Amino acid sequence: MLMEKSSNASVAKPAQPLISVRNVALCYRYQKSIFARHKAKIWALHDVSFNLFEGEKLGIIGRNGSGKSTLMKILAKIFETDAGKVTYSRPLHVQLLSLGVGFEGSLSGRENAVLNGLLLGKNRRHMLSRLEKIKDFSELGEFFDMPVSTYSSGMGARLGFAVAMETEPEVLLIDEVLGVGDARFATKSYNALQEKFSGNRTVVLISHDAATIQKMCTRAVWIEKGRTIMEGDVKTVAAAYLKAINADDPNAVRELRPD
Amino acid sequence: MRHKIADFIRYRDIVWYRTLAGLKSEARQNFLGYVWFLLEPAITTAIMYVVYVLIFQYGGGANRIVLLLVGTIVWQWFESSTMQGMMGIKSKLHIMTHFTLPKYIFPLVGIFTSTWKFLCIFCVLLVYCAICGYTPNIHFLWLPLVLATQLLLIIGCALPLAVGVAYFNDLTTVVSSIFRLLMFLSGVFFTASFVPNQSPSFVPLHAQIYFFMNPMAGLIESYRYIIMWKQGPNFWALFVAADYGLAFLIIGMVMSSYVNGKILKRVSG
Repeated sequence: MLMEKSSNASVAKPAQPLISVRNVALCYRYQKSIFARHKAKIWALHDVSFNLFEGEKLGIIGRNGSGKSTLMKILAKIFETDAGKVTYSRPLHVQLLSLGVGFEGSLSGRENAVLNGLLLGKNRRHMLSRLEKIKDFSELGEFFDMPVSTYSSGMGARLGFAVAMETEPEVLLIDEVLGVGDARFATKSYNALQEKFSGNRTVVLISHDAATIQKMCTRAVWIEKGRTIMEGDVKTVAAAYLKAINADDPNAVRELRPD
Repeated sequence: MRHKIADFIRYRDIVWYRTLAGLKSEARQNFLGYVWFLLEPAITTAIMYVVYVLIFQYGGGANRIVLLLVGTIVWQWFESSTMQGMMGIKSKLHIMTHFTLPKYIFPLVGIFTSTWKFLCIFCVLLVYCAICGYTPNIHFLWLPLVLATQLLLIIGCALPLAVGVAYFNDLTTVVSSIFRLLMFLSGVFFTASFVPNQSPSFVPLHAQIYFFMNPMAGLIESYRYIIMWKQGPNFWALFVAADYGLAFLIIGMVMSSYVNGKILKRVSG
C-alpha cells in the first residue's frame, strides 16, 4: 500500500520524536494443541510507522480490527514486537487508561484506589495523598469504604476513572473510553479528559470515529489492516479516512457521525 | 537504579495489597470466615486420630498424632502454595494485558496468600504440640530459618511452573500427580528412620540417600527435630533444600524474562 505523508501539518513540531515507531509488525500465536486445526499465527500488525512528539495529542484512527488496540499495547511496552522497532527518546512512563481492570472485589474502594494506582505506575504515598480527591470525584460517598463487589458497574467505572485521573503518566494512551457512567458523570469525565488534553501532556487517543479524533487531536495516523495508510494533520487524515469508508460502505457514515 | 528501587517497592506493595485481597475474599466466601483457618487443622487431627489410632491402632497415641500433624501441615503448605503460585500467571493474563508488570508478581501473590494461612495454622499446631507435652525449647529459634528455606523452595518451584503452565496447561495435571507421589515419599506419614539403611545390591546408593534427595523430606524431618526431639535442624537437608530453591528460582527468572513480552500474545482457542 502507498504511504502518503501529508506535508501541510499545521502544528510546529520539535525535530526529535518522543516515541518513534518504525515498520512494526506483531503476530498473535494460538495456544498449541495436538488437535488444533487453525493457523498457528495471526498477524495483527504488518507494517506500522509513525512518530509521537512531546506534548502533542495524536489520534489513531481505523476500523474495527485494524490493529489499533494492539498498537497501544506495544506503545505501553506490554507486547514485544515481532519485527520493526519502537524507540523511546528517554525512559518514559507510558500508561494505558484502563478503567477498573485489576479491581479486587473483596477490597474497599479506598484500598482498590491505591492498588489500581500502584498498577498504573504510581507509588503508595502518591495514591494515599490523592484518596480524598478520588473519593470526591468518583461521588461514591460512603460506598468508598465498602467492598467493590457491592458496586454497580457504573460505580466501578466511576472509581476507575477517578483513579486514572490521579495517575499522571508522561504519555497517556486512551482506548475509546469516553462516556463513563450516567449522562452527568459522562460530561464530567469528558471535561476532566479535556483538561488532560488541553495541558502539556502527550496523549494518544484511538478511535474508529473520525469526529472524536477531529475534536480532540491535532495530528492523526490512519491504520488499516495492520498498515499505516496516512500520517499527518488531523483534518486531512480524517477526511481521507471518511472518504475511503464512504466508498466502501455508504452506511458506515452514520456510525461515524453520531451527532 | 533509583527507578529500579522505586519500581521494586511498588511491586512489593502490589503483592501486599493483592495478598490482603486474597485472604479477605477467601474468608468472606464462608460463613465462618477466618475461623476456618483454625478449624481446618482441628479436622485434620480428628481424621488422623480416627485413621491411625482407632483403626490402624498405631502405638504412641498423642505422639503419633503430633508426628503426623507436623508432616501433614508442612506438606500442605508446600503443595497448596506451589499449586497456587503455579496458576498465578495463567489466571491473571487478562490483568497483565493492561499493565506493564513483571510476570513474577501474581505467582508471588498466590504463594503469600497461602503462606499467611499456613502461618495461622502453624501457630495453632505449636499450641497443640505444647498441650501434648512438646513445649517450646531453645531450638525453636531455628524455626524461622527452616520456614524461610521452605518458602525459598516454594517460590523456586512455583515460578518456572507458572511460566510453563501459561504455555502448556497440561502441566497442572502432571504436577498434581507428581505431588501426590512426592507426598508419600516425603515422610509425611513416617520418619526417616523408617526408611531402610540398605538397598538391593543393584542400586548404587542406599535408600536413605535417595530419601533425602527430596528436599521436602529433609525439611519435614527438620521440623520434627526441632519441635519433637528438641534438637537443631538437619542443616545438610536445609542446605540441599535451599540449593534446589535457588536453582529453580534462577531457572524461573531466566524463563520469565525470556517470555516477558511474548507470553501475552498467545491466544487460546
